[in-house]
Amino acid sequence: MTRALMMDDRDNVATALEGLEGGLPTTVIFPSQEIFREVTPEKGIPPGHKLAVKEIKKGDHVVKYGYIIGSATQDIGLGDHVHVHNVMSNRMHMPEVWYREED
Amino acid sequence: MNFLGYERPDGSIGIRNLILVLSVADCSEPVARMIAEGEKNVKAVTQHYGCIPGQMVANTLIGVGENPNVAAVLLIGMGCEGMPAHALGKMIKRSGKPVEWISIQELGGTYNAVTKGKQILRDLSEKVSGLKRREFDVTELIVGVKCGGSDTSSGLAGNPAVGVFVDMLVDAGGSAIMMEPIESVGAEEPLAARAANKMVREKIYKMIGDEEKRWSVPGAQMEFMCKGNVEGGLTTIEEKSLGAVHKSGSRTIRDVLENTDHRLEKVPKGGGVYLQDGTHMEPMAMSFMAAAGAHMVIFVTGCGGTFGHAIVPFIKVTGNPETYRRMSHDMDINAGTILTGEESMESVGRRIFNEVIEVASGKLTLGERLGYDNFSVFRQDPRLEVLLGITR
Repeated sequence: MTRALMMDDRDNVATALEGLEGGLPTTVIFPSQEIFREVTPEKGIPPGHKLAVKEIKKGDHVVKYGYIIGSATQDIGLGDHVHVHNVMSNRMHMPEVWYREED
Repeated sequence: MNFLGYERPDGSIGIRNLILVLSVADCSEPVARMIAEGEKNVKAVTQHYGCIPGQMVANTLIGVGENPNVAAVLLIGMGCEGMPAHALGKMIKRSGKPVEWISIQELGGTYNAVTKGKQILRDLSEKVSGLKRREFDVTELIVGVKCGGSDTSSGLAGNPAVGVFVDMLVDAGGSAIMMEPIESVGAEEPLAARAANKMVREKIYKMIGDEEKRWSVPGAQMEFMCKGNVEGGLTTIEEKSLGAVHKSGSRTIRDVLENTDHRLEKVPKGGGVYLQDGTHMEPMAMSFMAAAGAHMVIFVTGCGGTFGHAIVPFIKVTGNPETYRRMSHDMDINAGTILTGEESMESVGRRIFNEVIEVASGKLTLGERLGYDNFSVFRQDPRLEVLLGITR
């Protein structure tokens, strides 16, 4: 089974260690290899990208490494791709020249 | 643990035995290159901010000249600069190493300057090329850590593995220095929690806050995250920063080294982790760290980066197994084994430490073998500092 890495138990996202296929379950593990849970993303997730391992409401903090990495700009369901299309920095906004071509 | 290095007159220890041909402004760079051409262990460098570049650039060039990897320096000036070769030369000479300077105008132009420069190089080389490596304790080593071309593997594997190495180095009495002012935005809390005291804590917040101001001027489009970062899965500066600061390990942060138009502070004796103010832009950050005394730099890159530095060897680490597969002739350390589950973080940290000792003792990095010798210098624009109200 594919794996996704969750860095801290306060996190609500994990990083896909391989590309994840929509509809197939992935095991969310901690760096200690301990298993947090299984999550089935609805759509595919590229390797290195994040998926929600808990439900995240619009305006909620997105947490990775145990710290806030930004805020959700829309509701994010369990297993959803978490990236620039649904998260915004609380500190500095990226230029719009290139990143919008992403999603 | 020991390494084999070169002792300098001021008691510092070099890991390379280079002669620097330093043109004080880019107008005299072609002559510097002609002088250095075909010479072994000679590096021609310059800066590109004109001939009255300000104290920050002067501090960097002086610091680079003083770096223990540099055995001797020949400065090249046109002759009419606001920052003349002899002024920088006299400052570098305080370190006790052989330093000479020439003026192209005074010597009567290109031919004479090149002939004279080559002759001086021969004399300098005679003085320093016979130096032998001797054994020194790892407490003498100063290692810079930097990342660039990051993807999510950098925060999950590459940077934490380097952090494990930094803890090992510091526990053995060595020093580490990290320059990531913008890539600490959002990571103030974990950094400040490691500050040696209240003053250092405040300096950490100020350094990061000042850099955030410089990169968030309303109406100015500034790119502080590259396309590769986002394609690799990094979403915000906070995420990038929290992954980036892992490479400084977990030990006490002793100080934030000032790097302004007033002064460039060096890494003091005694070991430990230091942050240095400056820039996140890689080759320029390397020059700052070199000026602060770094012997080498560990460079973590998820996307893969191919460059180096003229006077500080670069050990490249990638946490991305796919990047290592594609670019193994550029990557000194494969930390991708962490994400594939083949190797522990500790084991990779130990491998990095072993590589550091070998490179310190003379083993060439892959970048050195490829001949990478980038050199560039950065300065804060003094006008921007005034307009943003950034003060010391």
